[in-house]
Amino acid sequence: MAELTIESLRLRFGGLVVLDGISLAIEAGELLALIGPNGAGKTSVLNCISGIYRGEGAIRFRGQGIGGRPPHDIAQLGIARTFQHGELFPQMTVLENLLIGRHSHIRTNPLSEMLFLPTVRREELRQREAAEKIIDFVELERYRHTRVGGLPFGTQKLVGFARALALEPALLLLDEPSAGLNRDEREDLARFILRIKHQLGIAMIWIEHDMQMVADLADRICVLDYGRILAEGHPADVLKHPEVIRAYLGSANENDDREVKP
Amino acid sequence: MSRGMPRASGYFRTDYAQDLALTQTRLERASLLAFAVMLAAFPFLATAFYLDLACQVFLAAIGALSLMLLTGYAGQISLGHAGLLAAGAFTAGILFREFNAPFWVTLPAAAAVGALLGIVFGLPSLRLRGLYLAVSTLALHFVVVYLGGEYESKRGYSTGIMIDAPTIGGYAITNGRVWYFVLLVAAAATLLICINLLRSRTGRAWRAIRAHETVAEALGINIAAYKLLAFVISSAMAAVAGALFAYYRHFVSVEAFSLFLSIQYVAMIIVGGMGSLLGALLGAVFVTLFPYLIEAALQQLPNAQSYAGVLFAVNYAAFGVVMILFLLFEPLGLVGIWHRVQHYFLLWPFKHRPVAGAGK
Repeated sequence: MAELTIESLRLRFGGLVVLDGISLAIEAGELLALIGPNGAGKTSVLNCISGIYRGEGAIRFRGQGIGGRPPHDIAQLGIARTFQHGELFPQMTVLENLLIGRHSHIRTNPLSEMLFLPTVRREELRQREAAEKIIDFVELERYRHTRVGGLPFGTQKLVGFARALALEPALLLLDEPSAGLNRDEREDLARFILRIKHQLGIAMIWIEHDMQMVADLADRICVLDYGRILAEGHPADVLKHPEVIRAYLGSANENDDREVKP
Repeated sequence: MSRGMPRASGYFRTDYAQDLALTQTRLERASLLAFAVMLAAFPFLATAFYLDLACQVFLAAIGALSLMLLTGYAGQISLGHAGLLAAGAFTAGILFREFNAPFWVTLPAAAAVGALLGIVFGLPSLRLRGLYLAVSTLALHFVVVYLGGEYESKRGYSTGIMIDAPTIGGYAITNGRVWYFVLLVAAAATLLICINLLRSRTGRAWRAIRAHETVAEALGINIAAYKLLAFVISSAMAAVAGALFAYYRHFVSVEAFSLFLSIQYVAMIIVGGMGSLLGALLGAVFVTLFPYLIEAALQQLPNAQSYAGVLFAVNYAAFGVVMILFLLFEPLGLVGIWHRVQHYFLLWPFKHRPVAGAGK
């Protein structure tokens, strides 16, 4: 059974049709790249899945309908996401950002927290250990007590990545994780994406503009244009698809023989 | 919680539990102990006037801490704090007058009434934000004060409700020194509750909501529930402060809970420093003592007697000016000044600032 299925998802803002009948499915452990020109509706798809936008059509996660549910419910079911601009909590430390990601796994109630009872102390220590595992995974040890606002941009994006992982999701939505990163940071990112796929087996929907990265890493590509799916399938096929080249990749002229190698 | 102050080198923690400890170094423990000793010795050295000032500061501190949780951490603006204090005070007053209830009944009752009102005050926060939310809480403030006034006039207490001193085991708390310790313990307990909430799940959820609501929601935080919880906890604390105030003054009257009182509490958390419990405490001290300082300053002027009539007006005006000055020149508040002083002396007599992010 597919991890997540979307059936004829429509989203409209007034008269503007943002998504026009999107149907998608992602298998467990699959890395699906979502590409397309600006304004194609890529982020809107993620926003619909995570409940921030409400579209028409069915979205099912592990067979359970999640359309119309509030975002916090959907996150608790195991769908985590990153944001295009990081959207971290800049005043808090890396560790605190991750502990907020752990929110739905923490089992303490406000009354016992007021007294910081031994149960709360034990739970906090347990969660700290879980957070440290993620800090270890994304190699952020030296920054754990640093305020996120003071970190370099590339590192901040990594923290956003780590914060989503802290939810221990079954499905991870990545909104342009490589935007604004330099070459080294992109290589690190590629490494982490592969490690998530192979070591943690988390399914990912990944919005990306770096075609080389997509061609290298993605299991499957889905191309979006004006709210519709233009093409879908194996990277090698999709990136050669004439419609995709016309709408998104572009070709300067017939003599241009550069092509993205899958 | 992250602390502003960098630590000396050579200080290492060896397990995660040490990160949870409230005091980290021997110096911190020693200075805390010294401060506690000073607080304990104060009533035996101070005159009745200063004792009363200290009690007022403690009461203000409870109110300011509760508002800081709500506004400084959960990010929900409230101009109805005086209404909640009034609710607590009237709960204590009415239960005492009508049922002769002892204070160990009226205090929890005040907390319960506060918590219930917190839900009412908090409901608009699910739809409204910022200024609009502030106005809705302001409206509720007037509702509470109106109901209190109605009770007073219907029952013939038009000058206010008198309340007897609370008694513990047959001993009535009338002595100023005993009151000092009662209120000190109440304020310290409130502070500890706030610290504990903020270093666990609830506090982190509040700070996340204040920083970024949509993101907090996408991370699995039920923002409606946590906003309401912030209102409930903050209001319950404020109501208890109101009840304690009523007992301390032996007297409840709607006149004490004007809109100006709400503004004073907002001023405390702004002047003290948003998003800091220490800020709430410093703000409570500053705003409570400020009118007395102005009065003392005026008395130093020649012909002090002739200014006595305008003292009230001067107080209000000076209060307004100080607020504006803080907003313009020190948005971080008193706690910002305090941290700068700490940083200055950390490497004194050298002037280099500690490297950003080092040693936290």
